[in-house]
Amino acid sequence: MADKIFYFLTFLSLISAMLVIFSRNPVHSVLYLILTFFCLSGHYILLNAQFLAAVNIIVYAGAIMVLFLFVIMFLNLREDTEPRKGMAAKLAAVVSGGLLLLIMVAALRTADMSTLNNPASFDSQIGLVENLGRVLFTDFLLPFELASVLFLVAMVGAVMLGKREAGERNF
Amino acid sequence: MFYSVVLLSIFGILNLFLGFLKSRAWLLPVTLLFLATALVVTLTDWNKSLFFWNYMMSTDNVSVAFATIIIVSAMLILPLSRFYFPNAAAPVPEYYAILLFSVVGAILMVTYENIIMLFLGLETLSIAMYILAGSDKRNPRSHEAALKYFLMGAFATGILLFGVAMLYGATGTFNLSGLAQYVRTTLVNGASPMLYLGLTLVLIGILFKLSVAPFHFWTPDVYDGTPTLFTAFMATVVKTAGFAALYKILSVSFTGIYSVWWITLAATSVLTLLIGNITAVYQQSFKRMLAYSSISHAGYLLIAVTAMGQTSQSSILFYSLAYTLATITSFAVLILVNENRAGESFSAFNGLARHNPFLAFALTVAMCSLAGIPLTGGFFGKFYIFINALEKGLLFLLVVAVLMSAVGIYYYFRVVIAMYMRGSDDNAVADRIIVPKSYAAVLAITTFLTILLGVAPDLLVRYF
Amino acid sequence: MQSGELSAFGTILLFIIGGILFFGVAMLTARLLRPHRPNAEKLSSYECGEEVAGSAWGPFNVRYYIVALVFILFDVELAFLFPWAVVFGDHKLDVASGGLWSWYALAEMFIFVAILALGLSYAWVKGHLDWVRPQTRPSDWQSKVPAQLYDRVNEKYKSSR
Repeated sequence: MADKIFYFLTFLSLISAMLVIFSRNPVHSVLYLILTFFCLSGHYILLNAQFLAAVNIIVYAGAIMVLFLFVIMFLNLREDTEPRKGMAAKLAAVVSGGLLLLIMVAALRTADMSTLNNPASFDSQIGLVENLGRVLFTDFLLPFELASVLFLVAMVGAVMLGKREAGERNF
Repeated sequence: MFYSVVLLSIFGILNLFLGFLKSRAWLLPVTLLFLATALVVTLTDWNKSLFFWNYMMSTDNVSVAFATIIIVSAMLILPLSRFYFPNAAAPVPEYYAILLFSVVGAILMVTYENIIMLFLGLETLSIAMYILAGSDKRNPRSHEAALKYFLMGAFATGILLFGVAMLYGATGTFNLSGLAQYVRTTLVNGASPMLYLGLTLVLIGILFKLSVAPFHFWTPDVYDGTPTLFTAFMATVVKTAGFAALYKILSVSFTGIYSVWWITLAATSVLTLLIGNITAVYQQSFKRMLAYSSISHAGYLLIAVTAMGQTSQSSILFYSLAYTLATITSFAVLILVNENRAGESFSAFNGLARHNPFLAFALTVAMCSLAGIPLTGGFFGKFYIFINALEKGLLFLLVVAVLMSAVGIYYYFRVVIAMYMRGSDDNAVADRIIVPKSYAAVLAITTFLTILLGVAPDLLVRYF
Repeated sequence: MQSGELSAFGTILLFIIGGILFFGVAMLTARLLRPHRPNAEKLSSYECGEEVAGSAWGPFNVRYYIVALVFILFDVELAFLFPWAVVFGDHKLDVASGGLWSWYALAEMFIFVAILALGLSYAWVKGHLDWVRPQTRPSDWQSKVPAQLYDRVNEKYKSSR
């Protein structure tokens, strides 16, 4: 059963991820991106990481996608204003993307996952919120606190750049 | 080092709130005092080998030295802001605070022991730089710089994270020594391809931030559009921290698979040297030339990383210091020339020597140092790196590097020729530039140190 | 899910499938039943009876973006609070640390929240969160019609109202 759900979710996330790229309308892209995030949350649940699944939906599918929509509105993107890319650029993109895919498939096909897949050390509860909290607030305390400095920089920068300057035209 | 990170974070927040004071006169001295305090705290870690917070950070002499270079270059760049913001409403306290936070990020990149800390440091530094790149809100080129830098940088960070995930998938650890342990043990059994893929992606992510070819294409536009004061910061602090981080991850964790990655780094450094130096020849703007020159210096530094050996850390250290000092001098003179003569092209420097012999002398020393002329720090920087390459038997790298240094002399001396040989035909241009005291002090310090490093390199090298 | 019984997430999955089915069946039935005679008037967007003019996507003020960004930062902070709340009263860690764990965890979270709160208060005091209204320009144009004239007209027609 879990296998079938996994394959279904993978299929769905691949399709929606491709639709993100192929949609001509940027708002449709955002909607497909949200679908992709939901599929990824499904994967997290299959991996027994419920907290990550919830955070993924709250933060990514909820908040960050709103920002995406804001930006799309800002840039006033429309289908008819989208620049057409030349054949050469498309060809280069296909070749480089294909090469990356080739390398990844070649590398991961024979990948040895014994370090993580070892049944002796495997802990199915590792993704639960208690374990995450225990690790985050003991071993990884320093990065956690420094993340707040990172957020602070982002916040200060955002309000500084977004601030209206004297004499600036505003609507 | 942990304490200097904490202190600088607190000082950054304090700086934000200092902005509420009516008087701005105290802002710069106080910020310099903050940095000096952090410097002293950093230096107390000298000759100690410490780990902090469950192996998140580690301190040794090399990381102390790199952190010192970072803090000192921040201290040298800050006084240049004295008359840089004519607009009274400019959010200077915020700029200072963001600079302090970016120094926090840079120190994290120098002292990390866990890849998570590398990522955090890189992000803190990068986000601060994206903001500062776009801080000139009236200037569309500044917007362009910020957007380009942000999009490209975010993409590179994504690649880096993907690589980190691969490394974790292969080894099950984020710790540098844990990775080294895995590399040592799997060499016997044959390493997992996922490790190689992860390493490649991490390298791409870091090289991108270092503007190494073929990931350099954002550099000229970003350096050009960013306000010159912050370009100086970008060209020095980000480079130093990035190379320290690159050297650390490769030397601590991946020396066991040197045979796998050295060829990639060698190829990129050849490409970087060729692209950086040859494109720099064609530039008409001094600022763009400095951007390409920073690409080419990344190439030289990459040679030292490729020729990893006993002495390469000291040569990276020496080279970054010499490069930092010379770059700060060039940008300081560029700011003055740009503000007084309204131009960033080589012709704006015409006849500078007649009116401002001190500025011309300082810039000449900086250009000699960047070109690697003897009696300046840059000469010994290149010399040590070439010795490294020779010891490792990387002859073709050496040949390319020597050839490209010769090319470098050509474009570095264009500005010297403009200053000394060309007369200024325009009367408005002929005016003497009044050098503020803070600029004079910074230029005196950097020029003195550049010459000192060129005359007596042993003063620094004997410690490592 | 191994033992064949539905876990809590299986129920959620069933709900999602049920929701999609319910919606799909309703739309399909409507499509089968309704007459299909479109014209330009019917196909246009409904905008309170007005003619639709131009695109609904216009550039809008950057202040919305600032609020959204500050919201995201606090959203992420909140996401960190969940695992903290779970381990905050962790009995095992508390016993192992001799009762110090809870204080330690409290201090950790206080520092984290305090740094972000300082950032917020900075933005607040600095006035970055103020809602900037477009400036209204009072006109100094003087009407040639004296005000008493209006009063007189009002007075005159008052009785007839």
